[in-house]
Amino acid sequence: MSALTFNLNQTPRHSINCSNLTPDHLAGKTADEIAAMPINYGNSRVSVGDLFEISGTDTQHIVFKNTSNKLDYIGASMSSGTITVEGNAGAYLGFNLKNGEIHCHGNTEAFAACNMVNGLLHINGNTGDFLGAGSEGLRKGMRGGTVIVKGNAGDRVGDQMRRGLILIEGNAGDYCGSRMIAGTIGVLGNLGTYTAFNMHRGTLLLKKQPQLHATIQDCGTHTLPFLSLLFKSLAKYDTQFSKFSTQRVQRFVGDAAYKGNGELLILS
Amino acid sequence: MITLLKNGKIYDPAHGKDGVVEDIYIHQGRIVPKPLDNAKISQTFDLAGKVVMAGAIDMHSHIGGGKVNIARMMLPEYQQQYQLKQAQELKNSSDPEAHICTPHCSHHATPSATDTGFRYIEMGYTAAFEPAISPVNARQAHLEMGDTPMIDKGGYAMLGNDDYFLRMLAAKKDQKAINDYVAWILHATQAIGIKVVNPGGINAFKFNQRRLNLDENNVHYQVSPREILQSLSKAVHDLGIAKPLHVHCNNLGAAGNFETTLNTMSASDGLPMHLTHIQFHSYGTEGDKKFSSAAAQIAEALNKHKHITADVGQILFNQTVTASGDSMMQHLNAKHANPKKSVIMDIECDAGCGVLPFKYRDQNYVNALQWAIGLEIFLSVEDPWRIFLTTDHPNGAPFTSYPHLIRLLMDKSFRNEAFAKLNLDAQAMSNLTSLEREYSLYEIAIMTRAGASKLIGLNDRGHLGVGASADITVYTDQADREAMFSKPDYVFKNGELVVRNGQVVKVVWGSTHTAKPAFDIGVEKDLKDYFDKYQTMQMDNFKISDDEISDDGRGSIVVHKQ
Repeated sequence: MSALTFNLNQTPRHSINCSNLTPDHLAGKTADEIAAMPINYGNSRVSVGDLFEISGTDTQHIVFKNTSNKLDYIGASMSSGTITVEGNAGAYLGFNLKNGEIHCHGNTEAFAACNMVNGLLHINGNTGDFLGAGSEGLRKGMRGGTVIVKGNAGDRVGDQMRRGLILIEGNAGDYCGSRMIAGTIGVLGNLGTYTAFNMHRGTLLLKKQPQLHATIQDCGTHTLPFLSLLFKSLAKYDTQFSKFSTQRVQRFVGDAAYKGNGELLILS
Repeated sequence: MITLLKNGKIYDPAHGKDGVVEDIYIHQGRIVPKPLDNAKISQTFDLAGKVVMAGAIDMHSHIGGGKVNIARMMLPEYQQQYQLKQAQELKNSSDPEAHICTPHCSHHATPSATDTGFRYIEMGYTAAFEPAISPVNARQAHLEMGDTPMIDKGGYAMLGNDDYFLRMLAAKKDQKAINDYVAWILHATQAIGIKVVNPGGINAFKFNQRRLNLDENNVHYQVSPREILQSLSKAVHDLGIAKPLHVHCNNLGAAGNFETTLNTMSASDGLPMHLTHIQFHSYGTEGDKKFSSAAAQIAEALNKHKHITADVGQILFNQTVTASGDSMMQHLNAKHANPKKSVIMDIECDAGCGVLPFKYRDQNYVNALQWAIGLEIFLSVEDPWRIFLTTDHPNGAPFTSYPHLIRLLMDKSFRNEAFAKLNLDAQAMSNLTSLEREYSLYEIAIMTRAGASKLIGLNDRGHLGVGASADITVYTDQADREAMFSKPDYVFKNGELVVRNGQVVKVVWGSTHTAKPAFDIGVEKDLKDYFDKYQTMQMDNFKISDDEISDDGRGSIVVHKQ
């Protein structure tokens, strides 16, 4: 069985809501049935077949080809299977992802891994603002799962994040870990300003020390054996983080303007 | 053009009609006597076996003003769900609603203005009154109500925590000066009644008081809630408007507050007062958890004090959002907000505002008991003319749950089944199952129609007598009262058929009801000085003219004289 492939047949001018194109929604459907399914295109409703050429049969493995950054909500609420995006994806990639894997070969827009619950989201390129945050109005962001970004991330990475793991090999923007409740964010590159702003709890694992604001306190240098276990546990992922072996970190704690139990570990 | 409603069973308590089979004739939006035999009847509805009542009137429902907008904006996560549902339901573009209703900024607890009008009329409600218009915010409230289609509306202006009034009281100004100011406010805000929220308390909060009892002084002005109630209830009485002072007592929601409520009943020295959402003011301190029902004491006092009326403010279980002018008590409750967010604010030294989302759960001891207390009050107050059916929308539950509440009142076994699912500790603290009473259709019609209209002073609404505005609701008599009251067969607004089988078939716009008692315009001299000195707007801009309500070609003003 070959992967079920959606090949975008035009350059879309509006947002395409791809939330129905997941293994959960497509299981047991034929290509013709899928082509006839309604899909939101901007303010209007069209058929999937109007926008995509569909081939393949394996609904457990879905591939998007010839993609665009207008493809929003890819893999929304998906609970099993794999989605591969061979190019760029739009906003809300992996929205409310419950399980399964999403691999994006290109860049994504904002709100990737928004409300994510579990599973794996792998982004080869860059991603926009609010990676792993909550959707508007919610008081909790990402609640579980693993996000790996090979490129850079925008501002507000892990805003109100509640649980889970975000690993960024490039840079992260301003307000990384803002209002974070729990979970772990790793960044190898540079960070913008106001890292850990209003952080309650959780861990930021950093390679480079960012400029920190006044309510983040320096707690000195420590040797933390648990780091070996952490890095070893990352061996199953395609990430540079699994290659570390150091146990030596400089530890900062904050944000004292909030509950102040979050920690920033700067790897040496 | 005469419309004939034939053979309906009429429930019209204002005229003592309890299920009488009669015909109703409608001409030019009014109910008229039987025309001459040769008169042409252009439309006839055969209502044999159907229940016919006047359009229902919600005398206390937060449908306009700043705090409702805050509540709408505060829960975007529910808007998302709601919009999805609306998008699925509004498939048909021939649906009248589809042309004017875009479901933005709407969720079930605080629907948008458009949504509010539609959901009310679909249940047979033809009027709703916003009970907490902060005078400085009255324009916003009227603009929102102006955007509310289908139903009549009106509001009560909030006084008693505003700096100007408290200064007058502290300076011991004579009652006439206060009467003039109250009348001036009624005119300026286009309101039909006066409301006082936590008398003196909202203001005291700004001077760091966190509780205020009936006879405790506001530290800044050195006046007590009792004096405020006396002064305002006297003013409302002297001005001769129908709507008694609308009182939200001190100590809302606090265990043991029933004593404050009982004392408040006698604070007006026998002048009429309406105690609103009294369920939230009927809590004792008995039991292990120091929170108990005082419904029996409250109901007994209500039965005894004939000058007092009350609405219940029943809670029903689910997500809602509480929006109150009582920033003092909402600040105390903010820790219970669910989801965790709240807005507590001052409004131009005029009043307060506290908005917090709330999820009432049947397994929570306090919530379960609140539910039972509300019903205990409903069932223990003997005179349905003095108790009104409300959920204090959206504070106890959204108004869309009224049909469910009506079934709880009319169906004892349904009520007892619901009771049996509550938190067990709460069940042990309530005597609800021993109350055998079941409301009759006639009594429901009193609470939701005739009584409400009499209370507010809407002379031509809430009844089906000759000359009344033809706001009429027709139901199919069903054993399941919830189904019956959620989907009327027909609703007529001003004589026009606007709802058929629970679906809006025509969009119409209701009037704004006001009361404008005479007063001495000399009061404006002092007020102008005050506005120039302290307020953020000019006195003339503060006043809402009639044109502002009617200029859009949809709104109109009805002035009720007593």
